[in-house]
Amino acid sequence: MLLSNETMNIGFVRKVEALSGTSVRRCFQCGKCSAGCPMASFMEHPPNRVVRLLQLGQWERVLAGRSIWYCASCETCATRCPNKVNLAAIMDALRKLSWDADGPSKESFVQLANRLFIDNIRTYGRQYELRLGAVFNVKSGQFMKDLLLGPKLLSRGKLKMFHSKNKNVGEIENIFARIEEMRKKGEAP
Amino acid sequence: MTPSKKLLNYAYYPGCSLHASAKEYDISTRGVCKVLKIGLEEVPDWLCCGATPAHNVDELLSLSLCAKNLSLADEVEGDLAVVCAACFSRLKTTQHHLRHNDVQRKQVETAIAAPAPLGKKVKHMLEILAKDYGLDKLANAVTRPLTGLKVACYYGCLLTRPPDVPELDCVEAPTIMEDVLNAVGAETVSWSHRLECCGANFTLSRPGVVLQLSNAILDSAKAAGAECILVACPLCHGNLDIRQKEIEEGYNTHYNMPVFYITQMVGLAVGVPATRLGLESMMVNPLPLLKGKKLL
Repeated sequence: MLLSNETMNIGFVRKVEALSGTSVRRCFQCGKCSAGCPMASFMEHPPNRVVRLLQLGQWERVLAGRSIWYCASCETCATRCPNKVNLAAIMDALRKLSWDADGPSKESFVQLANRLFIDNIRTYGRQYELRLGAVFNVKSGQFMKDLLLGPKLLSRGKLKMFHSKNKNVGEIENIFARIEEMRKKGEAP
Repeated sequence: MTPSKKLLNYAYYPGCSLHASAKEYDISTRGVCKVLKIGLEEVPDWLCCGATPAHNVDELLSLSLCAKNLSLADEVEGDLAVVCAACFSRLKTTQHHLRHNDVQRKQVETAIAAPAPLGKKVKHMLEILAKDYGLDKLANAVTRPLTGLKVACYYGCLLTRPPDVPELDCVEAPTIMEDVLNAVGAETVSWSHRLECCGANFTLSRPGVVLQLSNAILDSAKAAGAECILVACPLCHGNLDIRQKEIEEGYNTHYNMPVFYITQMVGLAVGVPATRLGLESMMVNPLPLLKGKKLL
């Protein structure tokens, strides 16, 4: 199939290319990314097909699917691409677009984990693993998940019962606020 | 000992895991540095680097959190020593972006309300041991060579990737872990899965992914004749060690494969007391193996 600006939805492709700093159009579908991808077997569209769908204007299928959320960010694809397409960065860009659109994907567990992780930084400054696991279990409705692991980790000192906030948590909040402000003014993606 | 009296001095960024689930990595890092007279001063008020979740959905946030950490690190003298492979990768990636992308640099400077901190050299502990301290000197510091111990050195994803960023070693065929281990007398095995992903942070959201990928890694190490695995990343350790029993049950197999941090193994060889290596924190008990090899 011949690619044209119409068939590929050039507006969306340009958006992804601007966010990722890499070319979607340069991919010639050798499939090396999918061959080395440890997560390909969990995806409905392996990495090379994600790029192909973008080239064919079918970006809605990509954003609605679970493939982008099943990428582990191992960067094997970006390392091995013969055309220097940074697919790992494309995955980041697609996740951001899906995330900003409030997650059309049904893959909610990965998104929930990301949300809680980032919230922890904003609230405490550092990760608080016990809270991360406990809140994830409650919010994902998996109350029994890793329940037997908890006491073993606690007894080895691998989970902390209590966690204090960083002294500079106000400065950290300012970073979040300034980024939000830049976005409101259209000065940052 | 005051830092200035030591030959090598670093600012130290432990990262979140090292204060909890990977505390043995922190304890053994400090133990090794004390014995080798490498000065470490923790960066004051460091914050989470954002790890994978931040850059997955918000690159600007990820870059800004790392830039803030690099700014804080500037308050301490010396290069920045990092031990967690994920923190290392994020901090190096941030410097790479700030150097090569003016638009992003300006956005980050606005976010942290400070100039982009680019002066600090970020170094992984492996690099400090192999290059700054030096392999010959490390070999000379050995008091208890790890003779006869067969080790599978596991790099995982973020020590060497993406290309052009970590500058630690060759991106597809690194040897720095083996070099360090050979210097302290251990035998390293040749195996297939040393750069494959363990499933990383899916341990929280989709542990089934971790069980499958980490099982393949354990299986490969065992097939190569390894008696233990060596890692440099808290997430790799969590997946291979903490979830190993679950993997054995799920795949009806048996590994009993201790998973050590690089600093635990080097510490053992250079005479860090066993009580300062955090061996008791490991889920797969390493004592039978170490006692069997007369290393304890």
